[in-house]
Amino acid sequence: MAPPEVHQLFHRPIADHSFSADKQTLAVARDTSVELYGRTGSGFALKDELKGHDKTVTSVDIALESGRIVTCSQDRNALVWEPSPTGYKPTLVLLRINRAATFVRWSPSETKFAVGSGARVIAICYFEEENDWWVSKHLKKPIRSTITTVAWHPNSVLLAAGSTDAHARVFSSFIKGVDARPDPGVWGERLPFNTVCGEYLNNSAGWVHAVSFSPSGDALAFAAHDSSITVVYPNGADQPPKAVISVSTQLLPFMSLIWNGEAEIIAAGYDCEAYRFKGNEGGWQLTGSLESKGGPAEEREESAFNMFKQMDLKGKTKDDTQLKTVHQNTISTIRIYEGSNGAVQKFSTSGVDGRIVIWNS
Amino acid sequence: MSQSLRPYLQCVRSSLTSALCLSNFASQTSERHNVPEIEAQTSPEVLLNPLTVARNENERVFIEPSINSVRISIKIKQADEIEHILVHKFTRFLTQRAEAFFILRRKPVKGYDISFLITNFHTEEMLKHKLVDFIIQFMEEVDKEISEMKLFLNARARFVAESFLTPFD
Amino acid sequence: MSIMQHHSDASLLENWRTINIDALDPESSSNFDTSTLHPAFAPVDENEIRTLGQQVRQLLRSGDAEGALRGALEGAPYGGDEAVKDLHLQTVTEVLQGIKASEMSPMLKRIFTSEGGGEALDVLMKYLYKGMASSTTRSVTSPTKPSMLSPQMTGGFSQMGGRPTPRNENDGAAMSVLLSWHEKVVEVAGLGCVGRCMSDWRKV
Repeated sequence: MAPPEVHQLFHRPIADHSFSADKQTLAVARDTSVELYGRTGSGFALKDELKGHDKTVTSVDIALESGRIVTCSQDRNALVWEPSPTGYKPTLVLLRINRAATFVRWSPSETKFAVGSGARVIAICYFEEENDWWVSKHLKKPIRSTITTVAWHPNSVLLAAGSTDAHARVFSSFIKGVDARPDPGVWGERLPFNTVCGEYLNNSAGWVHAVSFSPSGDALAFAAHDSSITVVYPNGADQPPKAVISVSTQLLPFMSLIWNGEAEIIAAGYDCEAYRFKGNEGGWQLTGSLESKGGPAEEREESAFNMFKQMDLKGKTKDDTQLKTVHQNTISTIRIYEGSNGAVQKFSTSGVDGRIVIWNS
Repeated sequence: MSQSLRPYLQCVRSSLTSALCLSNFASQTSERHNVPEIEAQTSPEVLLNPLTVARNENERVFIEPSINSVRISIKIKQADEIEHILVHKFTRFLTQRAEAFFILRRKPVKGYDISFLITNFHTEEMLKHKLVDFIIQFMEEVDKEISEMKLFLNARARFVAESFLTPFD
Repeated sequence: MSIMQHHSDASLLENWRTINIDALDPESSSNFDTSTLHPAFAPVDENEIRTLGQQVRQLLRSGDAEGALRGALEGAPYGGDEAVKDLHLQTVTEVLQGIKASEMSPMLKRIFTSEGGGEALDVLMKYLYKGMASSTTRSVTSPTKPSMLSPQMTGGFSQMGGRPTPRNENDGAAMSVLLSWHEKVVEVAGLGCVGRCMSDWRKV
């Protein structure tokens, strides 16, 4: 397996990152601005800086087709950055929320995006031609705490959301005039706006950090602060789900997860490395880490001279300021970099250590 | 290291490592604010169950975790009143210089001698395992420090008493 | 003058400046209903838990320590009141103290790999922390303990004041049992187990 591609961009936390469709542009959320990096050979070089927020930017997403960038921040605002020959033009979105915006994602159709917030609502935003601005409709019930994460179903109508009230929920965000009426599926038959198609809680609770639909959209996975991932297989409208499988791990909690096909999940978080889960409706299990550890670089023979030199310089024999993992701090986002038909060839991770890493799955 | 100290510190270490899984979380109560939730105590759902690790009734650690901050309070061993006074003076010296220690809280939680407050900004800037090491090392050193000070104090007291009483014999 | 008079009267009557108005707003985040974070529990009767305790002790006496531990952990009274929970804590502590140090690790591994074993170890972890918390709070409030906060009262710096009393030593011994169990449980069930102990609203 080829070694992962590591890019140390800076030494600040990366709240979120997103690649453009051609992988030439990388957007990262750094403190109160969003930095755009361009691919230069094997590395990335700073190209542009999007300044418009005045508090920590919490999330960024590039629409693959249109190239529009949406960002949101703890200053309660979301901005849509329209590419133009003279640079990116920001447009403020009418979110109508009074607390931090925490998470934003474009729908696969790119006509809408969802913004999670600390105001216990999800704003579903769409463009209104008549007024020439982005307006929003709120998903409110039955959210009781901050939304930490959202994920879109492939049909662009269903939306999964995780919250600090320990519930993962599936909503309908159907907006007349924007969406085509969805086909009835396992999540429900009729799906007017704010239909709650599912609400899931782990026995040992824990804030939900990540949610994701499987490539077909017929299963939902979520990761919670109780160090578990849970996979839900629904069984049509008003029916109890076919299976809810919860895998409690021995590890620290996961912050983000992606599906690789229908039978594999890759999750990463506070352990600073990515782990693979495999399974199906019958059951899921953790199969191991994606990092190969114990390479020759780590177990270098230390000469006595080096040992005493270290003791003299630093007062200790071993340098323990480096973690053995590629990421040196919590991984906060994991995204598909290259994939087809739901199978992932490459994925990218970013974390608190300011690194972007591209992995072969 | 004594027999029961090692499992005690080990227990604190694993509890802390697990509690220090913090993320950036903006306040749900006040607009455009980002405060340590464990201090604000305004949203019960973002606070986790507090953990107590105890070696005996005089030595214990109280860990209060939340989504973006952890409060760690330590009760330092005080076998007698001299140690009690020494601990009080020692922790007062430290807390008065709290800004130099980054994670030190200016006031201990009730029932404890010294408290630390670690927020997500600390775990972003510093290595998590080193923060844990710092707390553990503090716990190891403080006991040593106090008993050393007590020895010095006793030695001085003996010396003072001897020279004070010499003219009278 | 009259306005000031009025104000001070009002604050004397009820200290309105210190009223937490968030607490009065049902929509406020400080009024989050945490009972929605766990399933509803069936209430547990004190007699029920007493019988369970006897059964567990019976098992322990007959040499089936693993069965006793599992039985005690699976019967955790989530729905009981504090008295019931304390009663069960005693049962669990007794079982833990009755198991030899050399048997801990193999037994935990067997439980962990068995059906529903991870859950049982999560419960065990909760009892370990509860055990450590309860004995310290008990001793803090106990009136028999001489107060160390008043050196004047005892006159001079007596070094005999805080000598470990037999009770103190007992406490230390009980703690060290819990601490070594804690170490073993973390070895088997990992840090995730500690994390679940913090996130879980089903309290023991």
